Amino acid sequence: MKMIIGGAYQGQLAWAKAHFPEIADKDWMNGKECKETDIFTCKAIYGFHEYIRNVKEEQRAVLADKLIHQNPGIVLVSDEIGYGLVPIDAADRCYREQVGRICTELAAFSDEVVRVVMGIGTKIKG
Amino acid sequence: MLHVVTGGSGSGKSAYAETELLRLAKQNNCKKYYIATMEPFGEETLKKIERHREMRKDKGFDTLECYVNLKGTAETMTDRPAVLLECMSNLTANEIYRPDGAGERTVDRIVDGVQELCGRCEHVVIVTNEVCSECTRDSADMNRYKKILSEVNRRLAQKADWVTEVVYGIPVEVKR
Repeated sequence: MKMIIGGAYQGQLAWAKAHFPEIADKDWMNGKECKETDIFTCKAIYGFHEYIRNVKEEQRAVLADKLIHQNPGIVLVSDEIGYGLVPIDAADRCYREQVGRICTELAAFSDEVVRVVMGIGTKIKG
Repeated sequence: MLHVVTGGSGSGKSAYAETELLRLAKQNNCKKYYIATMEPFGEETLKKIERHREMRKDKGFDTLECYVNLKGTAETMTDRPAVLLECMSNLTANEIYRPDGAGERTVDRIVDGVQELCGRCEHVVIVTNEVCSECTRDSADMNRYKKILSEVNRRLAQKADWVTEVVYGIPVEVKR
């Protein structure tokens, strides 16, 4: 498993496409639109944080574990979203923290984690 | 030594900070204190506190509650312990907003407290929070809070021997 993360619009997807040319454009799933089951078979997904938003809250707790078991070779591109003041809305607070917990669990499993800032990737793991 | 640990929400910074404190305490065989700063208001906060208690049970910490006046808590330490303070974002909010808080003098009062703590302890690990990278437009009050916390963080980082940002459980060195 590989993770490419960074703040919004930092060029994570472009970085990932440049570094994983073996993954064709058609094999990149859009997390915002892809079906819940697609993630367990696809090669790569971008907007993983948007995918998490669409997952029902009770399913979020097992998402990382399921992914590790069913699709351990996936490339995940995600925004980092937990760097502001705590949101006023309770569901937003919960979502934001869950993205952190899920990504922390997946990062522990991943053999490579790259953080992209202004289009420049820095390998922080692997 | 002073080690400041920062990170976003759900980044694993607490787990990292606990492990780091245990490592440091073991070096000098020190007693371990956990300074808790979160006031137990409301169900969500209670759950959060419970989660953290669960994480550090069996790790041999004595817990001290400190909502304001860190210096006062620091002055009770006489045995050169290793201390984990969590979290600077709560302590700062308490000092700004509580009636017994420091208000406009928040930054100085906190830095004085940390100074006292560092003088009395073998090791200090402080958890703080990244709250300044977000797109939402905040109120004047929220901006004031962000400005004060950032000033606290900058002063701490200047004093610190080590600063680490935890990104999804991965420690990224900021200062060594």
